[in-house]
Amino acid sequence: MKMNAILLAAVSAGAMMLANPSFAATELTVQRFFGACDADFGTNTDVSKAVGECGIITSLINKFNADNPDVHVTVTTVEWPGYDQLTAQFASGDAPDIVTIHESVLSDYQSKGLLLPLDDVLKSVGVTPDAFTDAARNGATKDGKIYGLPIDSWTMLYHINMDLFKQAELVNADGTPILPKSVDELLAQAEQFKQKTGKPYFVQNLANETALFTRNLYTYLFQQDSDFFADPKHVELNTPEAKKVVEMYKTIFAKDYTTKGLDYGGAINAFLAGEGGVQLNGTWVVGDYNAQSETNGTALNKGGYAVYPYPQLFDGAHAQYADGHTWAVSAKEDRTAEQTAAIGKFLKFFTDNNFDWSRTGHLPAVKSIIASDQFKALPHRDTISAVAELGRSLPPEVERQFAIQEIIGEEMAAATSGQKETDAALADAETRINELLANL
Amino acid sequence: MSAPSNSIKGRAFGDRMLLALVILLSIIMIAPVLWVIGLSLKENAELMANPNSVFHAPYTLKNYINTIGTSSVFRWVLNSIIVSGGLTLGTLILSSLAGYGFARLNFPGRNILFVIVLFGLAVPEQAVLVARHQIFSMLKFHNTYHGLILPGLSASFGVFLMTQYFRAIPKELDEAAMLDNASRFKIFWKVLLPLTVPAQATLGIFTFLGAWNDYFWPLISATKKDMFTLTVGMASTQTNFAQSEGIGFLMAQAVFAGAPILIIYLFFQKYIVTAVSGAAVR
Amino acid sequence: MADQMTIRETAAPAVGVRVPSANIYAPQWRNFVFVAPFLFFFTTLLILPLFWGMWLSVHKADTFSTGRFVGLDNYVRLVHDKVFLQSVWNTFYFVLLTVPALALIGLFLALCLNRRTRTAAVLRTLFFSSSVLSVTIVTLIWRIVYIPNVGLLSTIYGWFGATAPAFISDPSLAMIGIAIATIWWCIGLPMMLFLSALQQIPQDIYEAAALDNANRWQTLRSITLPSIKRTFILVIIIQIVLQFQLFGQAWLMTRGGPNNLTKPIVLYIYDTAFRRWDLGMGAAASEMLFVLILIAAMAQYLVTRNKGDQA
Repeated sequence: MKMNAILLAAVSAGAMMLANPSFAATELTVQRFFGACDADFGTNTDVSKAVGECGIITSLINKFNADNPDVHVTVTTVEWPGYDQLTAQFASGDAPDIVTIHESVLSDYQSKGLLLPLDDVLKSVGVTPDAFTDAARNGATKDGKIYGLPIDSWTMLYHINMDLFKQAELVNADGTPILPKSVDELLAQAEQFKQKTGKPYFVQNLANETALFTRNLYTYLFQQDSDFFADPKHVELNTPEAKKVVEMYKTIFAKDYTTKGLDYGGAINAFLAGEGGVQLNGTWVVGDYNAQSETNGTALNKGGYAVYPYPQLFDGAHAQYADGHTWAVSAKEDRTAEQTAAIGKFLKFFTDNNFDWSRTGHLPAVKSIIASDQFKALPHRDTISAVAELGRSLPPEVERQFAIQEIIGEEMAAATSGQKETDAALADAETRINELLANL
Repeated sequence: MSAPSNSIKGRAFGDRMLLALVILLSIIMIAPVLWVIGLSLKENAELMANPNSVFHAPYTLKNYINTIGTSSVFRWVLNSIIVSGGLTLGTLILSSLAGYGFARLNFPGRNILFVIVLFGLAVPEQAVLVARHQIFSMLKFHNTYHGLILPGLSASFGVFLMTQYFRAIPKELDEAAMLDNASRFKIFWKVLLPLTVPAQATLGIFTFLGAWNDYFWPLISATKKDMFTLTVGMASTQTNFAQSEGIGFLMAQAVFAGAPILIIYLFFQKYIVTAVSGAAVR
Repeated sequence: MADQMTIRETAAPAVGVRVPSANIYAPQWRNFVFVAPFLFFFTTLLILPLFWGMWLSVHKADTFSTGRFVGLDNYVRLVHDKVFLQSVWNTFYFVLLTVPALALIGLFLALCLNRRTRTAAVLRTLFFSSSVLSVTIVTLIWRIVYIPNVGLLSTIYGWFGATAPAFISDPSLAMIGIAIATIWWCIGLPMMLFLSALQQIPQDIYEAAALDNANRWQTLRSITLPSIKRTFILVIIIQIVLQFQLFGQAWLMTRGGPNNLTKPIVLYIYDTAFRRWDLGMGAAASEMLFVLILIAAMAQYLVTRNKGDQA
């Protein structure tokens, strides 16, 4: 009798475990870029201690795991942007539950039915779409539904070494840097900078780089009101406007107003070592650079660090290229209710902790945070908050924006370095993109 | 005819020139590796400030400790061992059986089949990759060990090698047994297989090294961190230095990743060299 | 397996009317059992994908949806695609950069190290050791050599106050940078092949030459080189086939840049099929590569067959 009872208990316990997998913690797989920094932040759950994209996201996910013992998130870190891998995973039916996807890329996957619309999940945890800024919400909404939880809006910025700007006498009376208002002014100031400091005005990562070129081109095409994607299936790049931009960068390259041969990491190191005046990099390094400027003995500590949106060089719209990061959720048929609930928790956690993410330098995706004193009190937000109004993306109907970015970047790199004629490069870029879009 | 002494002098000079050239080449061989090891022993911040600091103390094992503590490199080494080992074992079994079959036995269509198998030698992996990936997707084979092992089993090289080897064994050895109507498998297993050990070693080494170093197929088939082989895992950490934990850490990882195969090489050097040269003579 | 074999074995005499037990080399279906396991994998994993790939190459297919028949469209697009043509040229250029260098340096090393001293043995070990490393480690090592700032090259150049050439990013140097890393990686195999060829030259020929007072250059030219001519051709062909399949180095060091100048055919296939999701065109490019390699393999077959004729 007693034996039977024990047996029965054991059997039913076993049956329960089989029937109810949430007996153990619910497993979620998360895949993200933003780099790996387990050595420094692998076990850190105190988010306020973390600096930079990698440190903050690692600590946030650690904290989520600690706060939610019933959920266990395993993270795969992929090299930026990770879409090759994600595509292969989707193709093999092995996609992660939650994955970082740019707003500009969401429609690639969404149009194939690979992503889960998040409206219901968000509703169940009390997150409503109107909590997000217009830019973030619009960027994450496709066909009227939200396909990614926006966590930020980002853009490219002028990161400035004020010590070198002072040496170059490019500082206003109030201590702010003098930035150009036209192409001619830019070239003149770059020349002055080079004369006075002996260093290039720009620190750019031009080695095997495509994203930077493309974002620069988009920004200055917006500023000239060039509607190069009037038809989302057809680009027009062989235009006088595009030529102006390429020629400007060609001059910058030819006259040594920029560093050459640096890759992304090399450019960061060069800027932090004080080897140039302005680094063109994204919102994501503001937190890191600010921390550097507060460390004694660094090049940015000498004369200070300032950061501004791209200067308005043309007469058109005040605008610059912007995009945003989201957490997207893969569409899976065999997902349990527990898993969906856990995903909801994860998304809510990132909405609630959006302020910590915005410490990276990104603009927050949550409306209440962008208006909060806490956010405004962060360094440099007075100068860069303007990008919330300036930010503009490509028409959302344009597919394969990362593939397009690569083509433009390749051709622009060839043109600016003088390896190819500007006209030929723009014509080739146009043909290649249109060929790509015609054969989707 | 020049005087003998002169010619010896000239010879000595020529020897010295050759020696200098060989030494220069060996420096080129070894310097990058020493550089990697040097970087792995330095703090990241110090390196960024001055790369010349590699040449003087302080050195630190911090990068190695971090690697042991946080990196997945051990998991990747394990995966590589399982995949390379599995593929080697499978290849040896399949190739020996088929080699025996093609070399020693007759069956309808043997010759045409052998020509088809030889033709397989000329099909590069890349030519079938797209289709293979799609088929494996349908079978849900990606991110599994068998998904990583199976494609290698279709390679013809082993069958070709073993067939040649079985053919070279004198027929008298198994003919008597065959006339006695002994089981073909018994003949294969007891009489002939033991004689093929050198060929097995060659094939095994080639297969293992090939699988260990394979990059393309694992890149598109193993997309989960836990299933990465060493090559893919290492690649995943290196593409953007800035996003990672610093050059010293990466280099320590590289040392961890490279050391096992180098040690295996040093231990089995004799066999590996024989295997390589043996394949050449053929 | 063994059991099955014995059963068939005992069953055989019953149907043995057609098969006289004395004629052990007559074709018998049961013998097929030995090659069947391999043929199963060979057919399903190589032959089937080969035909599947041909089928894909005449379809407009993407990673997430089934295709429709488009005839030779993919091939037409391919030969009009500047990037594809560039990648074909890049592949040939890379082969041209690496194969002669590998053969000549390999031969040089083999000639120098073909002696029974300890130093020679150590150096042989050293020159072959890089071959066992995987491509990702090799590229990691060489990126660390090439990168600005903490790179080995820039450090060495820094001692002389010079700027190191930008081997990964300069359009005219990028492929050369990849080629150097590749030669470093692959030099072991040609060296070993030459060494084993050298060791097969009968020693008495050299002794005869010594008696004739031939100097070293004469010996090299009239004895050594002619004896290893065939190995030389073999090394060239093996390396052509190997280097034609360049992928890892280019992908990991330059991503095929700047502006596709280091993008080889295999990387083009990868790009098209897995990054542009254009499976049909990727398959078409695969078939083109297949044809090119088939030609090289044919050449190899002809060379080795000639050897058989002479032997």
